[in-house]
Amino acid sequence: MSVATQQPKLLPYGDNAILIHWEVQGFDPDVSETVHRLAARLRAKHVFTEVMPGYDSVVASFDAATMPFGSVKRRVSDALRRDKGTSEKTAGRLVDIPVHYGGENGPDLDALAGAVGLSPQDVIEKHVARTYRVCMMGFIPGFTFLSEADPALHHPRHATPRAHVPAGSVGIANWQTGIYGLDSPGGWQIIGRTEIALFDKNRESPFYVEAGDQVRFVPV
Amino acid sequence: MTILTVLNGGTQTTVQDAGRPGHRHLGIPSSGAADRLSFAIANHLVGNAWDAPALECALGGVHIRFESDAIIALSGAQMWAQVQGLNVDTNRAIAVEKGDILTLSYARDGCRAYIAVAGGLKADTFLGSVSTYLPAQLGGIEGRALKAGDALELGGEASGVMRTLPIGYAPRLANHVVLRARSGPEFQLLNAASRRYLFTTPFIATPQTDRMGSRLRGDRIVTDKPLSMTSGPLLPGTLQCPPDGQPILALADGHCTGGYARGLHVIQADQWLLGQIAPGAKISFRRSFEEEAPSILATRNALWGQIIPSFRF
Repeated sequence: MSVATQQPKLLPYGDNAILIHWEVQGFDPDVSETVHRLAARLRAKHVFTEVMPGYDSVVASFDAATMPFGSVKRRVSDALRRDKGTSEKTAGRLVDIPVHYGGENGPDLDALAGAVGLSPQDVIEKHVARTYRVCMMGFIPGFTFLSEADPALHHPRHATPRAHVPAGSVGIANWQTGIYGLDSPGGWQIIGRTEIALFDKNRESPFYVEAGDQVRFVPV
Repeated sequence: MTILTVLNGGTQTTVQDAGRPGHRHLGIPSSGAADRLSFAIANHLVGNAWDAPALECALGGVHIRFESDAIIALSGAQMWAQVQGLNVDTNRAIAVEKGDILTLSYARDGCRAYIAVAGGLKADTFLGSVSTYLPAQLGGIEGRALKAGDALELGGEASGVMRTLPIGYAPRLANHVVLRARSGPEFQLLNAASRRYLFTTPFIATPQTDRMGSRLRGDRIVTDKPLSMTSGPLLPGTLQCPPDGQPILALADGHCTGGYARGLHVIQADQWLLGQIAPGAKISFRRSFEEEAPSILATRNALWGQIIPSFRF
């Protein structure tokens, strides 16, 4: 189904936010593009406190004292109506990220390869073959949620999360792949690690990538 | 010049201001004073702008020595505050002298006390705010909670104003926190019993309660069918409902994304109360209707805006 015919639901999120949600299964690249165009358009209005794009949704929060939900809904509908689709596609920057796969940097590589019936080398090749879109940032600073991994690599999270996953770890969770921005607890299958700091508060630009950018992994 | 030295940092004392909103899409929560109202009151009483950097003390145990004469005010949770061993009032400006020691004992009701110093405190700035965010060591004093030996400086000039709150204005805190809430986006996916329990039975805040969130214990809140959600954006004040049935209430430093059903969202006018949830506190949710939430907010903004210039919930 094309994005042009697929209208999202506009739902109240409490009294001071709106959720714009597309009903899709797994990852839909067209919806993801639309999400980022809509987020950019809403942010440019400078009336929302936060504009947060996700994989298949946007949440925008506002001051409920000055903006009734009805007017917020009208603004969002208006922004969606004005969306011209792919013509104003924002490609984002293309960023290469060097990754050490396997060993102590990727403690789950061998087990994941066994579980999906591939050799560790095949897993690496399939993982670096794609160019990914940065779909969402958070849950902690620098955590980079990327677009869909090769279907051969899809694998669930650990049932019990690890207490400590080092910053820069590259992981897989179901169809998602992503990078840990900070040391944190986490349940993703860790297949490698980059030495690049995704988030460094002392760098002139603290964020190495932003939602909308494209990312390629380069094995080292 | 040093205005105060920390003798004991207590459970968790951080420098906070009004936070750094607008960066959640980068994974940076707004942080800022967990109880925005009590924080604003403390600043206002000493003649500061309401959003000047001040100390936020969770649960208590703080000892501070003043290194020069100063005007200070305490607001928020009552912690049996004493200066040189004598009880001092909250919600009024008090003068302290060089060498005076301020001690806060344990929170009697609520969770967080605010200590404002006339002139405001100096701390590290990140994205326009000095609010401390512990997980990424942002803002505050080296991005961490205060510890014995920390010496803090004034960030500006004291105005010399000393105020008290008008009678009846002191926010009433209790160990039973009632939060008015509207449905979150996945409320309808909860089963019928859970949708009822949310508004009829109280929950207890477990020891897993901090500036990021509060894990609640109570009747099991579960979805009708197992939910396989794609991670999505999350806001402070949202009650997330994971499959184990024990919901998590997101606070000022809460994660920017989550993968569980967003069952409830505390209304904007009540979000300041989230900062006063202590471990062990009883939490009840009360359904707020569509027309009610904006009018509560307008009334509260008007009431407090008269007292504290430009303050808004």
